[in-house]
Amino acid sequence: MKEERQREEQKNRFFQKDNTIATKDRVVAWPRMGNIDLALVALVSSLGVKIVEAPPNSNEALEIGVKNSIEGICLPYKLNLANYIMALEKGANTLMMFQAPGSCRFGNYTKMAQKTLKKMGYKFDMVVFDMYQSKMKQTLQAFWHVTRCANPYRYYKGFSTGFNKAFAIDTAERLLFYTRPRELNKGEAERCYKKWYKIIAETTSIWGCKQLKKQIINDFKKIPIDKNKIVPKVYLLGEFFVLLDPYTNKEIEKTLGDLGVEVERQIFFSDWLEHVLQPSFLYKKESHRERCVRFAEKYMKRAIGGETIETIGDTVFAAKNGIDGVIHIMPFSCMPEIVSQNILTKVSKEENIPVMSLVLDEQTGKAGYQTRIEAFIDLVKRKKVRQKNIKNKEEGILQC
Amino acid sequence: MKKDNTEIYNNIIGIPKAISYYNNYPFYFGFFKGLGFDILLSDKTTTKLINEGSNYVVSDTCLPIKVFVGHVINLLEKGCNTIFIPSLQSTAYKVNNCTKIRGLPEIIRNVIDRPFKMIEPTLDKTNNISFKDFCYDTAHQLDIFDENKIEVAIQYGWSIYNNFQQMTLAGIPFEDAIKYAIENKIVSKPIEIVKPLSVVIMAHGYNLFDERISMSLIKKLEKMGVKAYTGLNVSKQDAISSIEKLGEIQYWANELDLTGAAAYYMLNNKVDGIIALSAFGCGPDSLMVDEIQYHASEKGLPMIHLTIDEHTGEAGFITRVEAFVDMLIRRKRKILKDNNNIKRLPSSKREQTAKKDDKTVNFV
Repeated sequence: MKEERQREEQKNRFFQKDNTIATKDRVVAWPRMGNIDLALVALVSSLGVKIVEAPPNSNEALEIGVKNSIEGICLPYKLNLANYIMALEKGANTLMMFQAPGSCRFGNYTKMAQKTLKKMGYKFDMVVFDMYQSKMKQTLQAFWHVTRCANPYRYYKGFSTGFNKAFAIDTAERLLFYTRPRELNKGEAERCYKKWYKIIAETTSIWGCKQLKKQIINDFKKIPIDKNKIVPKVYLLGEFFVLLDPYTNKEIEKTLGDLGVEVERQIFFSDWLEHVLQPSFLYKKESHRERCVRFAEKYMKRAIGGETIETIGDTVFAAKNGIDGVIHIMPFSCMPEIVSQNILTKVSKEENIPVMSLVLDEQTGKAGYQTRIEAFIDLVKRKKVRQKNIKNKEEGILQC
Repeated sequence: MKKDNTEIYNNIIGIPKAISYYNNYPFYFGFFKGLGFDILLSDKTTTKLINEGSNYVVSDTCLPIKVFVGHVINLLEKGCNTIFIPSLQSTAYKVNNCTKIRGLPEIIRNVIDRPFKMIEPTLDKTNNISFKDFCYDTAHQLDIFDENKIEVAIQYGWSIYNNFQQMTLAGIPFEDAIKYAIENKIVSKPIEIVKPLSVVIMAHGYNLFDERISMSLIKKLEKMGVKAYTGLNVSKQDAISSIEKLGEIQYWANELDLTGAAAYYMLNNKVDGIIALSAFGCGPDSLMVDEIQYHASEKGLPMIHLTIDEHTGEAGFITRVEAFVDMLIRRKRKILKDNNNIKRLPSSKREQTAKKDDKTVNFV
């Protein structure tokens, strides 16, 4: 306990909270990661604070990030830093970031970003969400510091709309993954998804947000699909940021969907949110992480930080549930995922499931990337057809 | 030797000469001796050994892990069938190790497809697995459940480790210190020839003291007339307090070897320069070196960052070190010269020289 307190004091000394900025003048910004904005905008704006949204990740952003960060750091940091810089230029003065010490370099992001930005001459207040223990308390404390909002109704509204929006967008994404390879009119699912993205962003009422999920499901059901089409199913696994950020992974889900493959991603922002913010005794069902630990038992005896155990557990889970292939994506020099890459070689052999690892960095060209994905999908499809033939043959023999 | 391996090697534990060997071997030695086991060490690192290790892992893995795998293979080829591979997850509350070191047993289990017994205790102080639990876990995995025996072994381990630490703090080189510590001796410090230059090398023990990986950097520096300080010469308390004085938070478990040592010598003005030695693609090092680089440039201390991987050529490496040492010598000579002149110069000129000096000093 003493050590904990010491550590806490140390942290507070480093991330000194700046109380000089009045709540009225605060303009909040945060790094972008996929659809995280939808939920956060709803939450923060209902607490009555101005927001600046950093421009979406792009080549330009990456260039700024690369220019201002050190050589050996991983890709997500470069993009985060670029987001901060762009937001600060737009007039933000409060930066939010969550961190989870003990995972990997990720725990050091805020510390480094703060130092780099101060060196560059920006003035701002960094608010850190420490996602380690007593997460709910930490989160509320941080929000209290930023907003000074004491109205419980506003908190209720913010969290309710935020959560519902996160669930809604993730449902839409799941349905999109299912519908895209099966649709009869090409592009319809994509259009539907984009339409709903806009609607979700614009909805503000609590009741409206609660209804979103049902409406999305009904709307996606209307898209005509070919139900008898043989569609191979591929799991998308790997590092959290790369999975969730469409710029970084070069829209791999779209690429795969257009090739006629159903993608299933195990890591969704809403699932993670639910798991992280809930106290552990309130878990109703086996969480994703617990399932992963159970399935990875043969290969790993301990969690070693990052998403290694999730990657391994999900791969085994995929193999046991008739999934046709696994695509494992990670940023260059990501420490936990290199360990998983080492282990995946064996898992792939023993569980008899094709696995491809893709390493992404700022120099990844889309053409080479596409070729590799196409070759892998060809392999998966052929394997699926062969399995089906074998099955038919066996059945034929039995019928005779 | 070869006729009956299992009988001969029944009571022997293999320890790969990599990663945690360079920090904790004296303790391991005493502990296993106390438990009644003999210890078999792997051979010195060679190019062949590295190549063999890299055959087993994916290419993105860093050099020290490849070397570790090579050492494990070497032990297996020697006929050893019990190998000690600890998983050092965190050494203090919220102070974690690099993921690859935390997952060493997982990597080895999945990468090497040969039957052998792996002793894989976990040390995780963040999740309340203390060092004592770590030792008990090790003994239980070796089928020893006698508490008295384990306690005595732990005591013996600490006594040897303390001897080792006492000697390294006094400035005895790593290899000699380990040799004497194992013989249960304490040797006092030899008379030291004062050298014109001194640098601090910030590097992990497994990079620096492995002669193949670091290409015997310390010896090379000594030949050039440079005294090299390492993380072993700084006590843990000093290292932690100097990190705090710099205004940083210790984040990595093995940070004391790097940031701690560099910060200590930088704050005490004991060195003329800093040499950072790290493996290519090392995640923790990239951050730590950057941290120190920032403070060094503020203080005006020259610093060089040497990156190594399995293809590093010795010629290019030595050229860079030589150039750095040359620069240090010139810089020191100039500072001494200027200091002598200051007494005779009028005050306005002194300021000028000081300003000039600042510019030259800011080389990083």
